[in-house]
Amino acid sequence: MNTIPFGPRNEPPDPLLAKAAELPKDVVPARDLWTSIAARIAGEPQRARSRSFRWPAALAAGFLVASVSALLTWGLMRDSDPTMQKPVVIAETPDAAIVPVNYGANSGLTVKEIVARDELLARFREKFNELRPETRVAIQKNLAIIQTAANEIDAALAKDPASGMLKSLLIGAYKQELQLYSTVVTSSDGLTRRT
Amino acid sequence: MLRVTNLAGAVESSAELVTRACQGDMGAFEDLYRQHVGRVYGLCLRMTGLPESAEDLTQDTFVNAWRSLPGYEGRSSFATWLHRIAVNAVLARRRSPQGRNEVSMTDEAGEQMDFESVNMMDEATPIDIERAIAALPPGARDIVVLHGIYGYSHEEAAAMLGVAVGTCKAQLHRARHLMRGRMAPERAT
Repeated sequence: MNTIPFGPRNEPPDPLLAKAAELPKDVVPARDLWTSIAARIAGEPQRARSRSFRWPAALAAGFLVASVSALLTWGLMRDSDPTMQKPVVIAETPDAAIVPVNYGANSGLTVKEIVARDELLARFREKFNELRPETRVAIQKNLAIIQTAANEIDAALAKDPASGMLKSLLIGAYKQELQLYSTVVTSSDGLTRRT
Repeated sequence: MLRVTNLAGAVESSAELVTRACQGDMGAFEDLYRQHVGRVYGLCLRMTGLPESAEDLTQDTFVNAWRSLPGYEGRSSFATWLHRIAVNAVLARRRSPQGRNEVSMTDEAGEQMDFESVNMMDEATPIDIERAIAALPPGARDIVVLHGIYGYSHEEAAAMLGVAVGTCKAQLHRARHLMRGRMAPERAT
């Protein structure tokens, strides 16, 4: 007769994992790293002396990001309005000035997500210089807003790395950046052939 | 060169040092560095397999910790908090252009490992298991390092790595399979 065992299973520990667990936890680096660390932190204060909870700032940044695409879409619609005279654009703002959003050390974004962003960014750069100057400025302002949001969320994630809400906010900021590039790439198809 | 630190002589507790470091006391933060650098460097070295990168990442970890110290609320131990920062730094480096250009010991499938290239530990290290871990592809290596060596639960390791618990378990299963396959020929010689 077969019986079903109850209670925790007493599986024998994996010998390889048992060996791994015996490895020394501490490994001292070949050189003392403190001097370099001290030099780096000497010039900068800690982020905040108070222990104030920074989630509200991160949440506010998240809501700020949500308003970005509407503003940009309005700007692009103006660009694509055939009744508006479109001047020949001289690129005062070179595409090199477009700095993609840095999500910080705590973002948890995958290589695949960053590569996808970079691919879209390359297509965005091709279109960027053909936009009206004020639209380019608007785009840069929008990117700055997303960067501000990303900074706030990264700071909050440093304190609470496991927070699902903060990770959602960060993904929201990432999607807004993609949406911004995508809006330019798709909306400017009709605007790129300026005379 | 592998040297194992002994923390038994630590005079002042981490909690006291953290309190003082939070108030901007760099001396206290240096003491925290001395107490924890071995584990942070060991974690970074084992996750990257590259001593030079591990040194950079250890520095980044402590600089980021200094910046974030006022927000440390003591919900986890200081060591665990520091390890989270270190893991985030390692993962961020892998995503960076610099990290993507660094020579990896394996591809993601775990192929083309050259044991001769793994020379990060000295002769005193139980080299077979250390080498076998270093030879794992990054995802599998991460979970063996966090769960197998540093004793974090699957849930804790998953939270640190930003993956599902099931993914951690699957990666550990894969790691065990790869390590068994690679260590068997060495045992035979």
